[in-house]
Amino acid sequence: MLILITILLLFAAALTLVILRLTRPEFRFTWVIAVAATFLAWITVLLWQTQIPLSFTLLPWQPANLFSTSPSFSADGLSWPYAVSLVTLALAILLTASAREGFSSSFAWAGSITLCGLGLLAVTAANPLTLAMVWAALDLTELIVMLRTVNEREAGERVVAAFSTRAIGIILLILANVVSSASGKTTEFTSIPPQAGLLLLVAAGLRVGVLPLHLPYSSETSLRRGLGTALRLVTASSSLVLLARIPTASLASPLTPFLLVFACIAALYGGWMWMRAPDELTGRPYWLIGLGALAVASALRGDQSGATAWGVALVLAGGALFLTSVQQIWLNRALLIGAWALSTLPFSLTAVGWQTDVSGLTIFLPLLLAAQALIIAGFIRHALRPSTRASLESQPAWARSVYPFGIILMLLVQLILGFWGWDGAMQTGAWIAGLIASLLTLGLLWATPRLPALNPVRAHWVQPTTASRLDRLYQNLWAVYIWFARISQTISTTLEGEGGIMWALLFLILFVSLIVQRKP
Amino acid sequence: MSAPLIWIFTPMIIGGLSFLFFRERTVAAIGGTTSLILAGIALIIPIDEALKIGPISLKIASSAILFGRSLVLTPANAPLLVLVFGMSALWFFGTEAAGVARQLVPYGLIVTALLVASIAVQPFLFAALLIEMAVLVSVPLLSPPDQKPGRGLIRYLIYQTLAMPFILFAGWQLAGVEASPGDLALTVQSTALLGLGFVFLLAIFPLYSWIPQLMEESSPYVVGFLLWILPTIAAIFGMGFLDRYAWLRNSPSLMSGVQVIGLVMLVTGGLWAAFQRDVGRLMAYNTVSETGFILLAIGLTASAGTDLVFLFLIPRGLGLAIWALSLSILKTDDGTHHFKSMQGLARTYPIASGGLTLAALSTTGLPLLAGFPPRLALWEGLAHEDLTMAIWFLVGLLGLLTGAVRMMAVLVTEKEETPWNSKETWVQRAMLGLGMIGLFVLGIFPQVLRPLLDKLPLMFQHLGR
Repeated sequence: MLILITILLLFAAALTLVILRLTRPEFRFTWVIAVAATFLAWITVLLWQTQIPLSFTLLPWQPANLFSTSPSFSADGLSWPYAVSLVTLALAILLTASAREGFSSSFAWAGSITLCGLGLLAVTAANPLTLAMVWAALDLTELIVMLRTVNEREAGERVVAAFSTRAIGIILLILANVVSSASGKTTEFTSIPPQAGLLLLVAAGLRVGVLPLHLPYSSETSLRRGLGTALRLVTASSSLVLLARIPTASLASPLTPFLLVFACIAALYGGWMWMRAPDELTGRPYWLIGLGALAVASALRGDQSGATAWGVALVLAGGALFLTSVQQIWLNRALLIGAWALSTLPFSLTAVGWQTDVSGLTIFLPLLLAAQALIIAGFIRHALRPSTRASLESQPAWARSVYPFGIILMLLVQLILGFWGWDGAMQTGAWIAGLIASLLTLGLLWATPRLPALNPVRAHWVQPTTASRLDRLYQNLWAVYIWFARISQTISTTLEGEGGIMWALLFLILFVSLIVQRKP
Repeated sequence: MSAPLIWIFTPMIIGGLSFLFFRERTVAAIGGTTSLILAGIALIIPIDEALKIGPISLKIASSAILFGRSLVLTPANAPLLVLVFGMSALWFFGTEAAGVARQLVPYGLIVTALLVASIAVQPFLFAALLIEMAVLVSVPLLSPPDQKPGRGLIRYLIYQTLAMPFILFAGWQLAGVEASPGDLALTVQSTALLGLGFVFLLAIFPLYSWIPQLMEESSPYVVGFLLWILPTIAAIFGMGFLDRYAWLRNSPSLMSGVQVIGLVMLVTGGLWAAFQRDVGRLMAYNTVSETGFILLAIGLTASAGTDLVFLFLIPRGLGLAIWALSLSILKTDDGTHHFKSMQGLARTYPIASGGLTLAALSTTGLPLLAGFPPRLALWEGLAHEDLTMAIWFLVGLLGLLTGAVRMMAVLVTEKEETPWNSKETWVQRAMLGLGMIGLFVLGIFPQVLRPLLDKLPLMFQHLGR
C-alpha cells in the first residue's frame, strides 16, 4: 500500500500542476505545492524501510486461463535504493529549478515528476509483464515530451529511432516472458530460465544504450537540465533495475563471456568518451553507456547487488552533476562525493560493485577497472571544470537558499546508501579493486594535462566524428532494407498487376502443396 | 416480436430509410443510435424469456421464418449481437468525423443486418449466400455510381464471390460425410472445398492483394468498416463449422493447418507492412496480420478455448476504427496517403497522427494498448505448443513494428519549420480522444471485457470445451 501512496502522491502532484497551469496560470504557489508533494513522497519512500518487503497487485487480468500473471508491484532490498534515488532526483530537480532559466515552467516540473513516478513503478515492477507495461508508458511519455521539445528538422527522426530501439527492448522482455512460460515456469523474475535470462540482459542493454552502441541525440543539449536529466536517468534506471532481477543461475550460458566482452568494450568506450567530452551535458549519453555497461558486467558476473550499486550511482552521482547549473566553489567540491560513491572503496555506495564473481571470468576485471577509472576521472574533471555558468551569488536570495539543498540532498543520499538501507550497504567489498581503480583515476587526472590524447575534444568535433562511423553502419543497414523492399515491391506488383489473379492462384496451389507435404 | 425482426429487419429498414436524409450529422446519429439501441436491447432484454415491466409482459421470440428458411437468434447469440452492434455504433458515430456518414451508414446498416442474418440462418449453409449478398451491397458503398470501379474492387468481388460456391459444395458434401463417416475420399474432398472457400472469404495469402488496392481506391473509413465486419463474421461462421462437425474439430492436421495459415498471414502481413510507403496500404497489411492473429487463435481452441478468439475481436475493431478515422482526417495536398505527402503532418494534425500511431502500435502489440493482452496470451499459447512458431510470431511483430515506426518517422519529420497547430474539428478530437482512451483502458484492464467474454463462447456447443 505504501508503494501506491508514494506513486499517487507523485502523480497527483503532476496532475495538480497541469490543472493549475491550465486554469490558473498566474497561481504563485505552484512550485511550493510541487515541492511539498514530492517531499511527502520522499518521506513515504523512506517509510518503506519499515515494511520491506512490500507488494500490491492491480486487479487481476481475466480470463485466468489466458493470463498467467497480472500487473503487480513489490519493493525489496534491491529495488528500494532505486526508488529512493528516483524520488530524490525528482525533489532535487524541483529544488534546483529555482536557479535555472525559465523557472516558472510548471509543465516541465509536471513532466519530471511524472517520469520519476513512472520510474518508481518500473523499479518496483514484480514481473516482466508489469515492467513491459511501465517501459511502454515511459517510452510513450518520452516520445511525446521529446517531440514537443525538439525543433530541429531531423530531430524527430532520431526521437522515433530511439523509441524503436526501446520498443525492441520491450519485445525482448516479453519474449523472455513467453520463453519462460513455454518452459513451464511461472512468469516471475525469480523463475526465469537461462535462455530467457540472456534475453532480459539484452533487453536492458538495448534500452540503456549499451548494446548496441548507438548514437545519442545531438539535440539533447537543447533540453533543459531538469527535464532532460529526468528523461535520461529515469529511462536508464528503469532498464538497469532489470539486471537486479535476473537470477544468477539464469545467466549461466556459453554466450556469457561474449556478452561480457561487449560490456567491457562498451564500458571503455563510454568511459573514454565521457572523460573527453567537452562538458557534462554533451557527455551525458556516454555516462549512461559507461555506467550501464558496468552494471551489465556486474550482472553477468552474477552480482545483483553490484549491478544495483552501479545503477543507483548512475542516478545519484550523475543527477547531482547534471543538475548543477550555477557555479559555487564549495558545491563544486562537494560534488566529489560522487567520485567517492563511484570508487568501490569500503562503505561507499558502490562498495559491492566488484564483490561477487560467480562467473569465474575475472580475466575481464582489469578492463572493467580501467573503464571505472575513466568514468571517475571524467566525473572529477566535469565537477571541477572552470565554467562559464552564472554564479550562485548572482541568483535571487531565495534561490541561493533553496538551490544548494537540491544538490546536497543528492550527495547526502549517496553517502547514506553506503551505510544503510539496502543489501549492499555497510560492505567493505573488493577493496583492492577499489584501490586500484582509485589509483588509476589519480594517474589519469595527473596525465590529462600532460597527454594531448586525454584532453577534452572540442564540442563541435564530437558529433561529426561519431556520426560518420555510425552513419556508414546505418547506410549499410538502409541498403539491406531497400534490397528487401524491392523484392517486396516486385511481389506486390506481380500479385496486384493484370495477371495477379493467375499468379495468386498459382501461389495458392504451391502453398497448399507445401502444407500438405508438411502434414501428410 | 421476434429476435430476427429486431436485429435483422429493423437495421435493414432503418438503413434503407436513412438514404432519405442528407445531413451528415443526422445520418451518423441515426446509424450510431440505432446500433447502440440494438446493442442495448441485446444486453438487457433476454431472448425467449418473458420480461415483466409492471403490467406489461415482453417476450422476444428467437426465430422467424423467411421463404421457408428459419432465422434463429438464440439467447446464446445475444453477446455476439452486443458486440456486433456495439462496435457498429462506434463506427457509425465516427462517420461524421470521417465525412462519410451518408455513404457508410445506410449501406453499413444493411451489411450488418445481412451478416447478422448469416449467423442466424438455418440451415446454416445459407450463410454463404447471405455473406455474398452483404458483399454485393458493399459494392456501391466502395464505388459510388459516378466513379469507375477500380481493380481492387473488382478483385474483391471476384474473390468473395468465388468463396460462395466452394462453401456450398463443401456443405453439400459434408452432409454425405455425416451419413457415411468412413468415406475418406469424401472427407478429404469436402475439407479441401471448405478450406478453399474460407481461403477466398478470409482473403488468405496470397489472395489478399485486393485489400491494399482497395485502400488506395476507396475511403479508408469505409474500407476499414468492411475489413472489420467481414472477417469477424466469416471467422465466427468458420468456427460454426468446427463446432458442428466433430471430425473437423478433432482433426489435429486441420487445426495445425489453420495455425500455419495464420502464421503465414501474420508474417507476410508484417513483412509487407515493413516495406510500405503508403499509410493506407500499411493499414491494409496490418488488417491482414490481424486476420492471421485470429486464425492462430482459432488453431489454439483445443488448448485455450474460444476465449482467445473473442479476446481479439473488440481491440481489433477499436484499433481499426481509430486507424481508419485518423487516416480519413489527415488531409494531404495531393489527396493520397503516400509517405511523401504525409511528411510532417503530426504538427498540423497532432491528434489524428497520435491516433494513427497508437492504432499501429496496438496492432504491433505494444504493452499498455488494447492489442497487447490478446497477443500476449496468443504468443504464450503458441510457445507452449511449438517454440518455432513463437519465433515466427516474433518476426511478424517486428515487421509490424518496423512499419509503424517508419510511419511515425514520416509523420514527425517536418519539411519546414511548422508550429504545432491542431486542424482537427472538435468532433474529430472527441471521437479520436475517446477511442485512444479506449485503447489504453483495454490494454491496462483487459478484464473489463470479461462479462462479454464469459458469455460469447456459449454460442458454440462443442468448440473449445
